Amino acid sequence: MEKLSPKAIIDSFSEKLGDGLVGSSIYEREIAVKKNKFRSLWIEVQSSAFRAAVLHVCQLQEYPHLAIISCSDLGSEVELIYHFTIYYGQRFEELSLGLKVKLPKTDLSIPTVTDLIPGAIFTEREIQEMMGVEVVGIPDGRRLFIDEDVPEGIYPWRKDETGPDKLLRVLPGRKPKRHDEKG
Amino acid sequence: MAVGETEKTTYTIPVGPVHPALKEPIQLMLEVDGERVVNTDILVGQVHRSIEWLGMNRNNPVQTLYLAERICGICNICHPFCLAIGVEQAANIPVPERAEYIRVIAAEMERIHSHILWAGVAAHEIGFDTVFYLTWRVREEIMDLIEYIFGNRVTKGVLQYGGVRRDITAEQLPRIRKSLDYYKSIYEHLRRILLEDKTVKMRTRNVGVLSTEDALKLLTVGPTGRASGVPKDVRQDQPYSAYADLDVEAITPDMVTGTVVGDVYDRIIVRLLEIKQSVEIIEECLEKMPAGPIMSETKMPRLLRLLTDAAGEGIGRVEAPRGEDIHYVRLEAGSETLGTWKVRAPTYVNLLAVPAILQDMQIADVPIAFASIDPCQSCTNRVVVTDRATGRKSILDYQELHRLSVEKTRDLQR
Amino acid sequence: MNLKAFNRALWVYHLNTGSCNGCDIEILAVLTPRYDAERFGVMLVGSPRHADVLLVTGPVARSMEASVRRIYAQTPDPKVVIVVGNCGTEGDVFHEAYSLVGPVDQIIPVDVYVLGCAPRPEAIIHGVVMAWAKLERLVKGEVV
Repeated sequence: MEKLSPKAIIDSFSEKLGDGLVGSSIYEREIAVKKNKFRSLWIEVQSSAFRAAVLHVCQLQEYPHLAIISCSDLGSEVELIYHFTIYYGQRFEELSLGLKVKLPKTDLSIPTVTDLIPGAIFTEREIQEMMGVEVVGIPDGRRLFIDEDVPEGIYPWRKDETGPDKLLRVLPGRKPKRHDEKG
Repeated sequence: MAVGETEKTTYTIPVGPVHPALKEPIQLMLEVDGERVVNTDILVGQVHRSIEWLGMNRNNPVQTLYLAERICGICNICHPFCLAIGVEQAANIPVPERAEYIRVIAAEMERIHSHILWAGVAAHEIGFDTVFYLTWRVREEIMDLIEYIFGNRVTKGVLQYGGVRRDITAEQLPRIRKSLDYYKSIYEHLRRILLEDKTVKMRTRNVGVLSTEDALKLLTVGPTGRASGVPKDVRQDQPYSAYADLDVEAITPDMVTGTVVGDVYDRIIVRLLEIKQSVEIIEECLEKMPAGPIMSETKMPRLLRLLTDAAGEGIGRVEAPRGEDIHYVRLEAGSETLGTWKVRAPTYVNLLAVPAILQDMQIADVPIAFASIDPCQSCTNRVVVTDRATGRKSILDYQELHRLSVEKTRDLQR
Repeated sequence: MNLKAFNRALWVYHLNTGSCNGCDIEILAVLTPRYDAERFGVMLVGSPRHADVLLVTGPVARSMEASVRRIYAQTPDPKVVIVVGNCGTEGDVFHEAYSLVGPVDQIIPVDVYVLGCAPRPEAIIHGVVMAWAKLERLVKGEVV
């Protein structure tokens, strides 16, 4: 299928999802001597429209490349970003597409994408153990990096009380620094 | 089941996590039927050092840059490079043009040393110790050059937000050209050993095959993916830094042999040609490098103030020697640490291709097939073979497994 | 230094407890023709039961702690433990991480520390020779 411009891609999302599309932006930057452009797209969707958005990405590109899923703890919400790239294989054509979804901490669950992209299994297991997001329908939900000795309920990426503070090995005479302390 | 009847079952062999030689700990559970591998399960986590947590909670961004260097000792420039690109996008820090070229020269030197290192390790796995010693001796030349320009062999500490910390002066240029000429002269010798040797071909042709469709579905990146015919290369598709001025093409094995098979031999072809490509890129950069400053913000307190006040997010994507490396950074105004930092190294994704690669392989081929993805975590040591029918356990250690691999080479040579 | 009591090669077992691989490639570089530790009689073996020296790198990750203790117990006496690199000595950049159980000497007794991140191959050879001298004294039965 033919390659769309960034603006046309955003328009196609808005057509497909309607109200499910919450926001979008295009980032551009000139690099090096010849001043070619580096571009990336950010699209934010509602969690109810998430599956439809991923299906739309699969239509824009056959076998889209999912680089990673990143998680941010924003207080009462958790923001997941699915970093896709489309139109790879040709010089200067590739676009980064970041699909953002905000989930409230009271209902942290999201459907799996491993039926569309089998390579997403490791990154979904990681967000389950590190942030506490429940991935509905995941084929293999075991822990990936954290050791079995560490008890359940400790989520290292969180900034609230479920962080791993109790597991830190602090040198004698030091107090561990937290992200919101000064000095 | 009556007495005297037997049922054919498969054995499960746990391999790892501790093993001698270079590699990092990892555990593979191989399910075997006779001599063939039927299924593979991968258990990771033995090298988890909670680096993202340290970057988000304990360090200021400049300290995190030095922490990012120590994520991997072999691919030492790509992680701080990614982080610097991400933070420069988020905080809107400009980078002088000369610094972009120096960063690219450092990244290409790292690619040369990493691919030669891999060639030696792969040769050791099939029992060719002479080639292991030869390639590592050849590698010392690039290590000397890296030390001459950047000050250290490993962990160079040359990147900073907004530029680089060391310059390449005009007096250093003759020495650099001498090393590059050495590599151009020895390339033909290496090519003959790795690509035309009969034994190497016998051990690597049609071993560890990954089909193009599997590579696309499992998101394989880097030379492993390119050897299976997937032309993904960040330097070509979404050029960053000085690559936007150069003309880099993704290398696939049909440039040499005309077809794509996706086996270990194809991966040797891709990595060998990339060494040649890197030498040419360094020469081109040295010619085209513009004059000018190398850092946009030289005073450290001002840089830290700027990073504390900045708010935004950015992605850095870099082609590391093993594949695509991506970092996501989010800065929050008023916070001294990074707000969110997500690191994804290339082996994270390439490990998913291992079950497909090891499918239907003999146990003696497991070391070379696993090492061909160039894992930054790796292979075999103590192997416990449990006979499920009788419950007897026998232990094979690394020497036994390595001996099986070497014996297969000798058998093929007869 | 008169290294006479050992009339065979020194067998070294390399144990990686979760390091970044920088020290490990410098250890392998020690065996290659440029630095060539094999001319001193040093050899890497594949099993701790054959080893005289344990060469440990890396801050110990939680899931590797049991392996480290087991391998130390499997190495026969007399033995020497060398820690290569800063993160095995005192944690270095990883010192407050939640997934690490402390530098190597909190788990097994250590005899020689080689500092650096990563230490140069010459420093590693120096460390191995110091360990060899200590091993000679152990074999002769002197108090160490």
